[in-house]
Amino acid sequence: MGLALSVRDLVVEGDRGRRLLRIGALDIPAGSCIGVRGPSGAGKSTFLYAIAGLIALKAGTVTWGDEAISAMNAPQRARFRRERVGMIFQDFLLFEELPALGNAALAASYAARSERDRIASGAAAMLAHLGLGDHADRAVDTFSGGERQRVAVSRALAADPPVILADEPTASLDRAAADRLIGDLAELAETRGKTLIAVSHDAALHERMDRVIDIVDGCWTGEG
Amino acid sequence: MFASVTDLWNSLPASAQDVLWFVVLLLPALVTGLIVTRGYRPFGLVRAMMWRYRWTNALFIALIAISVGIGVGLIAQERGLRKGTARAAEKFDLVVAAPGSEVQMLMAAVYLQPVDVPLIDGPTYNRIATHENVSLAAPIAYGDSYQASPVIGTTPQFVTHLAGELVEGRMFAAMGEAVAGARVPLQVGNSFVPAHGVGEAAEHDAHEGHDITVVGKMRLTGSPWDKAILVPVEDVWAVHGLASGHAPGDAGQIGPPFDPDYFPGTPAVLVRADQLWANYALRSEFTTDKTMAFFPGAVLSGLHSMLGDVRQVMSVMAVLTQVLVTAGVLAGLVVLTRLYARRLALLRALGAPDRFVFSVVWSYAAVLIGAGALLGVAVGFAAVGAISRVVTARTDILVTATLGWPEFHLVAGFVSLTVILALTPAFMALSRNIATDLRA
Repeated sequence: MGLALSVRDLVVEGDRGRRLLRIGALDIPAGSCIGVRGPSGAGKSTFLYAIAGLIALKAGTVTWGDEAISAMNAPQRARFRRERVGMIFQDFLLFEELPALGNAALAASYAARSERDRIASGAAAMLAHLGLGDHADRAVDTFSGGERQRVAVSRALAADPPVILADEPTASLDRAAADRLIGDLAELAETRGKTLIAVSHDAALHERMDRVIDIVDGCWTGEG
Repeated sequence: MFASVTDLWNSLPASAQDVLWFVVLLLPALVTGLIVTRGYRPFGLVRAMMWRYRWTNALFIALIAISVGIGVGLIAQERGLRKGTARAAEKFDLVVAAPGSEVQMLMAAVYLQPVDVPLIDGPTYNRIATHENVSLAAPIAYGDSYQASPVIGTTPQFVTHLAGELVEGRMFAAMGEAVAGARVPLQVGNSFVPAHGVGEAAEHDAHEGHDITVVGKMRLTGSPWDKAILVPVEDVWAVHGLASGHAPGDAGQIGPPFDPDYFPGTPAVLVRADQLWANYALRSEFTTDKTMAFFPGAVLSGLHSMLGDVRQVMSVMAVLTQVLVTAGVLAGLVVLTRLYARRLALLRALGAPDRFVFSVVWSYAAVLIGAGALLGVAVGFAAVGAISRVVTARTDILVTATLGWPEFHLVAGFVSLTVILALTPAFMALSRNIATDLRA
């Protein structure tokens, strides 16, 4: 089951104190699919990184379920991401020299010994589910963009985390591949009860979400 | 406790000490590796990193390998040269000459680098040759040459002492006959006319009419004597218009005994005692106002120990050069890890523990260093082989240098030191901002 997100009085500042993001109060129920929309440079990715615990907050709290990651130190936040969050990026960020399974099961290289097998089999199952089961041993530099992003999705879901955070997941894909990916992501989140938050410009993606929130000039301006 | 450890160490055979010392030197690297990678499996990613920038990585490995190879090559070469010069001198137990410089005489009598020195006269030679403890007293009369080969006048006994049985032909038995060193470009049956002097100053027609025929060849000795042509000392005297060394009634005799009244003189005498201890007695006995007696081995080891300081400086410089190259490589590595910055940021974004990211960067550096050091040993082997051939060709002293334990110890120490230094770029990789690198 997914985790609920609660954000209160969130402030993120950039260099020289420039305000990048301010969100008064935002609540996202567990298991919902949320699209985050807004012009380029509005602070969408900053929002995603902030709720993932990847950047320092100036003020405010970010709470996933009953865990306030805003109160955690860096190693604790890393552990939270490792155990609870799957991340997907615009340009896939794969290790091109590794095979699809090596990328999808990447977390097994640093997971506790007892978790390694579960992650590896989870990765293989995800690749198979996304139609890449026959290509698990192929180096990903031979894959198309759509296939690469499906490997990245497999990596995000290999450890079966309750939360999926996606940063422009369809921006590097052609329409057909983007549509397929949107379908896969939405289907996975819905059937497995994940909380999915996807930052995107893609209207097709927004259509499949339960809610779309707009961020303009670093502020949450309400729901679309 | 300390004493018993020292005793235990001393009781070990030298080879065991070498192996242990090697392990001890390598231990810091192994322990660091175990601690850094404990519980993780970074090598799949390291392999991927190696392959991604393979040419850059290959260049780094090559740089380390060349610096390690030259370092160990030079040190091994220096040892080989020391051994080679000692081996070339080992047949020369005691040399007696007119008073002067021992080093100069060593160069002349053992390494055949000609110098002008006063001669030892007949009565003095006779006193040496007839001493009760002397089993061999051979005049070594140099000064003539044929092409690049010095022509040395001596006795058949010295030839046998120097090189044992001849590999071809027979011993010279009359004036006009010669035994050639293994590397002299003359075969049995060839004739030549010696020139007076050596090198460019040689007078080629001074001994016109004194044809000498090679009747035998010596085996290879690994010393400058391989390039020498040995003739009866009587012949050297004869071509210079001197007495024959024998009374007129014994004309045509070759080798000892010589008649002191007809002995024209010799620059040096090689002396061999019948007992080892007697060498020392002979040395003090022949250290007089008219003669100088010295052990070439002792003079050589004096030279070596004087050069020992230079050797230590060389070793330190070799290590320093390697460390400098490594420092350069590590600085490069810091730059190189920036190439991987986005992938490393990805790992951290996915929640990989810092120590895992650290282990990936460190293992990557350790692989570069380890591969460079291993390849460096190979470069070292090739380098000593090549330098040995050059040195042998230039000095006629057979140098068979090869890498030994001192070099392996050096490499092990180098690897340990540098992989520990490689912790620095690994730390630096962790200090980077994840979000900034992800967006790069």
